[in-house]
Amino acid sequence: MSEFAVHAEGVWKIFNEGAANEVTALSDVSLDVRKGEFVSLIGPSGCGKSTLLRVIADLTSASRGTVEVAGMTPQKAREDHQYGIAFQQAALLDWRTVRRNVELPLELAGWDKAKRRARALELLDMVQLHDFAESRPWELSGGMQQRVAIARSLATDPEILLMDEPFGALDEMTRERMQNELLRIAGATNTSVIFVTHSIPEAVYLSNRVVVMSPRPGRITHVVDVPLGDRNEDTRESDAFFEAVTAVREALRGRAKPVGEGGARLAETS
Amino acid sequence: MSSGTSTAGRRVKQGLISLGWALAGVVIAILLWEGVKLLGTVITLPFETSDQAMPHVWTIAQGALQPEVRGSDTPVWLTVLIAALYTLLIAFGGFIIGVSVGLLLAIIMQRFAFMERGLLPFVIASQTVPLIALAPLIVGIGNRISFGPFQWGQTQSIMFIAAYLAFFPLSVGALRGLNASTPTQLELMRSYAASPRSTLWKLRFPASVPYLVPALKVSAAAAVVGTVVAQISTGGRGGIGRLIIEYARETTAQPAKVYIAVIGAILVGLIAAGLVALLDLYLTRNLPKEKLT
Repeated sequence: MSEFAVHAEGVWKIFNEGAANEVTALSDVSLDVRKGEFVSLIGPSGCGKSTLLRVIADLTSASRGTVEVAGMTPQKAREDHQYGIAFQQAALLDWRTVRRNVELPLELAGWDKAKRRARALELLDMVQLHDFAESRPWELSGGMQQRVAIARSLATDPEILLMDEPFGALDEMTRERMQNELLRIAGATNTSVIFVTHSIPEAVYLSNRVVVMSPRPGRITHVVDVPLGDRNEDTRESDAFFEAVTAVREALRGRAKPVGEGGARLAETS
Repeated sequence: MSSGTSTAGRRVKQGLISLGWALAGVVIAILLWEGVKLLGTVITLPFETSDQAMPHVWTIAQGALQPEVRGSDTPVWLTVLIAALYTLLIAFGGFIIGVSVGLLLAIIMQRFAFMERGLLPFVIASQTVPLIALAPLIVGIGNRISFGPFQWGQTQSIMFIAAYLAFFPLSVGALRGLNASTPTQLELMRSYAASPRSTLWKLRFPASVPYLVPALKVSAAAAVVGTVVAQISTGGRGGIGRLIIEYARETTAQPAKVYIAVIGAILVGLIAAGLVALLDLYLTRNLPKEKLT
């Protein structure tokens, strides 16, 4: 089991089960994420991509099915600080300095003061915000705040990074720079990443695999392999990149053949 | 990108501007008072503006310098000042007790939804009981309370009434504040496996500060009003409330005297407001300005 960062099998999530307003958010979802792999979840609103992320993070529980995170139950993984998480809102605490925001998960994990401080400064170095360690979050731009949030999500050196549209509120230029930084950081720390996004180019640029989901009920319809190798600025303009973007787009439109029926450029679910 | 020190500098400057306005307010109040008196000599106003009912500002100032009783060394202003400080002390005690109880209730109501459903109606109902009905009741019950050397007295009753009025705005404001963290912030805390206590200390409580600040102001005002009114209705000795009654009885002989006591009561309110403003300045020192009310 432990060769996978995340292993989900036959996962269902049904809200208000049995009631008149019952909603099936996830229907028989299976997904394996290998260690060090970057996987994006993409799909229209209501397809359950955020719900799947929240089940993995143990922010909500699956109605049926098994989920393993770093070889343990999601609850154990959460309590063990096995994953880091970042959301669309940076959700920094206004009353803390940037450094002490990054220290927050370490405080709760019981690290002592000196170690916390050293680790936070190291992470702020990594996201190139060392000079702003003693600033307040509200003095920073949106992109800088999001970098602080990413530094914070990496604080406990987790095996797995869960990201729910972390760049959704950023402008295009900042967004591309952040994508490069994220790839650099994830590569350097060999972290597995599950990344929820609305943007097809973003999913393709970042991921080893793009998982395409569809709503009512939320399910995985396609898994697109993206064999682009090491990313650089030329990648975004390469033919292979556009081919992969087209493949994901067609999968989203439902034109490509779904999983298990042998779609052209589409790989089998693992 | 503003540094912390320049933010503090801006706060101090704003404080000085506020002080200037406050002084201007005093001048305007004096001008209005004398203006109304002057107007009363020209046309008929629906209230008495004679020197008996509305003594001149300078008569009041002179009255403050008179001895308290004929032949005594203590001038009226000193008696009023001591009474004002005594009232302030009791109001402060009532404020501290009220804020502690209010905060505790808010924390309990936030933590347990059933407590909010059960407690909140009583918290609200508590404020519909008229203070005048409550005061003799509290004095009556209080007289029968004693633990060993401790005997519940009039001072305790007055402090209790002040606390009774002060706890309410704080508990309601704090409850809103404790629930003001964003869902994302709460999910982050959950992802860190934070205990309810850590979540309270590291997130909910600091996030409630913008709601606590106005609540503290209202509570402080309520504590002062509660103390003065309780001193009047229980006849508690030594405070400004009692002094207002006593001086009101002397109106025919010395019409200015009661106003000196009233100014003393205003002074209590101003000092209380000033102290709370300092507390607010401390609590909000790290927050962006636009979030503050």
